[in-house]
Amino acid sequence: MNALNKKLWRTILKTRGQFLAVVVVVMLGLSVYISMVNSYYNLEYTQRVYYQDNNFADYYFHVVTAPQEIIKQIEAVPGVAMAAGRIQKDVPVIKENNQRATARVTSYPLPLEDGINLVQLSSGRLFEKYPQGGGSEILVDPAYAGANNLAYNDTVTIVSGGRQAPLTVVGTASGPEFIYPIEDISSMIPDPTTFGIIMIPHNQAQQVLDMPGQINQVLLKLVPGTDEEKVAREVKAILEPYGNLADYGREKQLSHAILQGELDQLQTTSRSLPLIFLLVAAFIQFIIVSRMVKAQRLQIGVMKALGYDNRQIILHYTGYAISVAITGAFLGSLLGLLFASYFSQTYAYYFNLPDTISGIDFRAILYGTLLSLGIGSIAGYTATRSVTGINPAESMRPEAPRSTGRIFLESWPWLWHRLDASWRMGLRTITRNWIRFGVTMLGVVLAVGLLVVSLFFNDSIDYMLFRHYEQEQKYDFLVRFAAPVRESKLLDISRLDGVLKVEPVLEIPVKMSHLGRSEDVLLLGLPREVTMKNLVGEDGYPTAIPEEGILLDQKTADKLGVRTGDRITVETRMSLGPTHTSTLMVAGINQQLISSGSFIEISGANRVLQENGVVSGAMLKVEPGKHHLVEAEMNEITGIASILSRQKELTNFMQNLDAMIYFTAVMIGFAGVLGFAIVYNASIISFTERKRDLAALRVIGYTTREVSGLLFKENAVQSLLGVLLGLPLGYAMARAYISAISSDLFTIPVVVYPQTYLFSALGGLIFIMAAHLFAVRGIKKLDLVEALKNKD
Amino acid sequence: MDKNVLMKIDQVTKTYIMGEVTVEALRETSLDIFEGELLVILGPSGSGKSTLLNIIGGMDLPTSGRLVYNGEDLSKAADTRLTRFRRSEIGFVFQFYNLIPDLTARENVELAANLVDNPLPAAEVLKDVGLEERMEHFPSQLSGGEQQRVAIARAAVKNPRLLLCDEPTGALDHKTGKLILGLLAKINQERGSTVIIVTHNTAIGAMANRVTRMRSGKIVELTENPTPASPERIEW
Repeated sequence: MNALNKKLWRTILKTRGQFLAVVVVVMLGLSVYISMVNSYYNLEYTQRVYYQDNNFADYYFHVVTAPQEIIKQIEAVPGVAMAAGRIQKDVPVIKENNQRATARVTSYPLPLEDGINLVQLSSGRLFEKYPQGGGSEILVDPAYAGANNLAYNDTVTIVSGGRQAPLTVVGTASGPEFIYPIEDISSMIPDPTTFGIIMIPHNQAQQVLDMPGQINQVLLKLVPGTDEEKVAREVKAILEPYGNLADYGREKQLSHAILQGELDQLQTTSRSLPLIFLLVAAFIQFIIVSRMVKAQRLQIGVMKALGYDNRQIILHYTGYAISVAITGAFLGSLLGLLFASYFSQTYAYYFNLPDTISGIDFRAILYGTLLSLGIGSIAGYTATRSVTGINPAESMRPEAPRSTGRIFLESWPWLWHRLDASWRMGLRTITRNWIRFGVTMLGVVLAVGLLVVSLFFNDSIDYMLFRHYEQEQKYDFLVRFAAPVRESKLLDISRLDGVLKVEPVLEIPVKMSHLGRSEDVLLLGLPREVTMKNLVGEDGYPTAIPEEGILLDQKTADKLGVRTGDRITVETRMSLGPTHTSTLMVAGINQQLISSGSFIEISGANRVLQENGVVSGAMLKVEPGKHHLVEAEMNEITGIASILSRQKELTNFMQNLDAMIYFTAVMIGFAGVLGFAIVYNASIISFTERKRDLAALRVIGYTTREVSGLLFKENAVQSLLGVLLGLPLGYAMARAYISAISSDLFTIPVVVYPQTYLFSALGGLIFIMAAHLFAVRGIKKLDLVEALKNKD
Repeated sequence: MDKNVLMKIDQVTKTYIMGEVTVEALRETSLDIFEGELLVILGPSGSGKSTLLNIIGGMDLPTSGRLVYNGEDLSKAADTRLTRFRRSEIGFVFQFYNLIPDLTARENVELAANLVDNPLPAAEVLKDVGLEERMEHFPSQLSGGEQQRVAIARAAVKNPRLLLCDEPTGALDHKTGKLILGLLAKINQERGSTVIIVTHNTAIGAMANRVTRMRSGKIVELTENPTPASPERIEW
């Protein structure tokens, strides 16, 4: 090691507190980066391979029912590489304890090899086309099997056409369209106790579901480079006589959209969050190194006198920043890999992915290290550029005294004369050393801002859940029938012991169109005097079901580009019966945070279906403590397809939020470290720079207490300003974060509760106070003679 | 002694702007420096002697006038040229030693040795200045005289043609000061380096081949001393 490197090494040892503080910031930034990028690569790779291996479909068509032979006609359409027909249907499952669940029965033509959306077996064996001893063999998704304790040879009973059909489980499996198995977008989080995937041979599905020779879905693989929409139009024309219900490309396939959304979010976050850390680290590195250059002006002069050139000296001081970058990168990589394995576990838990999605991607480590080195070098280099301006001869002479003058506050005598001497001194110091002041203040601003960001997410989710489950949904149970029934059927339910009130619901899947744009929407018919569902209007105030027309949801209104007063075309998409088309007026717009839906008066909904007095379900209010009883009673009623308990939904949601609590805790920890690193460094630098001034005050007779008081006043101004600016910055960062991660599927409101602001402000004050205590300790230890004698 | 001119200082002026004041440190000063001589520049503080030394050593450029070293005009040399000049030709000894506090005595010497292709062995040079026992000490663990000896070793290790000393005894007691002067004379005689000592202590002039006196930025007197005294005999 040459002498300069030894000097660097000793400098690092001497300033180890500061050095470690920046290293920790770099380490955290890189660990976030590496874990996220690593997870991104793993997840993306798994997705790609999984899709490829299982021939994931490019396009989907849902029809009421169509003859199997239609596939040959579709395969002939130019651009179609492969077409497959299948049956997919949601059916009620009757569990052992008579509880309900919904199964998405999906059929697979055998042999499997040349199909689309194949099954990937996880355990057990594949199903047989004609099992020995008759019956039907099925595979279920692993999450459902786990949640319902299903093992090989167990029986799952589904209800189809009013008949119960027992199916034999021979294994667990998944498929590329079931990576995130949720019933529909309003479920948001998988609940494997109430929703599962059943995979069954096509011939058996036709038999069990009573659809001989029929299919109700067509899957396409397209020739690469084909105009998707053109092919879709042609295929839809072929399927027209069989009742088109829906058609969509891969990007709208729910499981894919959510997985892709997660990938996009990972990418966005991995590009923004670590950058904040690295920029903060760069900022501290810059401050440390530039202050070092300033303090070692004489040493630099000596080195120059000896014959060291600018390049060597710049390299030497930049070396400090580079050492930070390298140490941070090394530790960050280790920590990053640790986080990555936690991420992988979380993904494995949420996503139905077959193989382990863990693994180390060295690209992430390489890029992270390069990023840290690049940013560190730039910070170091920028800070040391002033070295070139140091003239060796001049550096040996004392610096010219700072120019002084009145500060702006002095031009307001009415204020200035009211301040006592120590306030005046403090305020003068602040205005004359505004860079140093600004650095510390910026540290507080960032720390407070980050605290707001790490805390607000909890507020937003809490608000969202509160609004959805406490304010908007007032029912205890939402019951759905297997098919629409007469309203009188609800009497059976209202007579049940414990049921307080029943309100009818008519849900109609429809396609809404306006000026060439169209959107698949769930239309909900409710009575005008509904009490178990509260609606919120465009303006955020409560609104009611309109007498005439539709209360459209905001997202659909935006997508269709319609406003109140416009007329839209509504086409029913029921899986049974003919399609009805009607034109309805948009009577208003409503907002929903979770799920979406457009509302109409229930008799209007009946008119859309060309029916009268029909309901598809009901909302129930139940006596406290009788939830289980009512649920058990309803399980006995045939014709009820599903029973949703608001409480259970909320509980499921809350359980899944545990992961987010960890995330928040980690973020708060990060914000704390970041804030402390900045303020700690800034205060050490500030203290070192002022050692002589403070010692001079002590020498002329100020007590330690009085000098501390002086510093305290400066710190108080810094923290107050820092907190005041940090809170709005936090809000702005929260908004930016949400807009970066929000997707088509759901919107998270930016809600910051007052206690979050309070907590963040307190956090900022704690950082400043800790730094202040550190400085006070320094004043007590100040060696007056040494401080006044030494140049640095 | 042959009178080979190593450096020619011709009509050199240097002005500084310090804060809001302009200081004229050197006014049209001319001086020839001979190879191998020991030159003492005397003058009260503010007379411009340190400025002259800095310009000779390539630490500072003259505001006007010429500075010719070995036939090359350095008065308008670029920063990189001056750095190379300092690196290969000059050794500096300062009044306040200016050692790097984070490096040991030996490392401070190595800091200079690392810069040239054929340095003298650092340990040997430190032994020459009588510090073989204190090589691994940090500056804060050394006395003023010891620090100055490290500084001399640091300057000498490059085996420079010009050894420039700015008040080398200014911060030292009488006895230690004489020891330092003895070391400088030894380097001048044994290694043949040209040694220039700037001081306000007129007694030191006795050990020089030539003595110049400066006042208010000008050389007011230049005397030759055919029989330089040994530093041990000098008293002040």
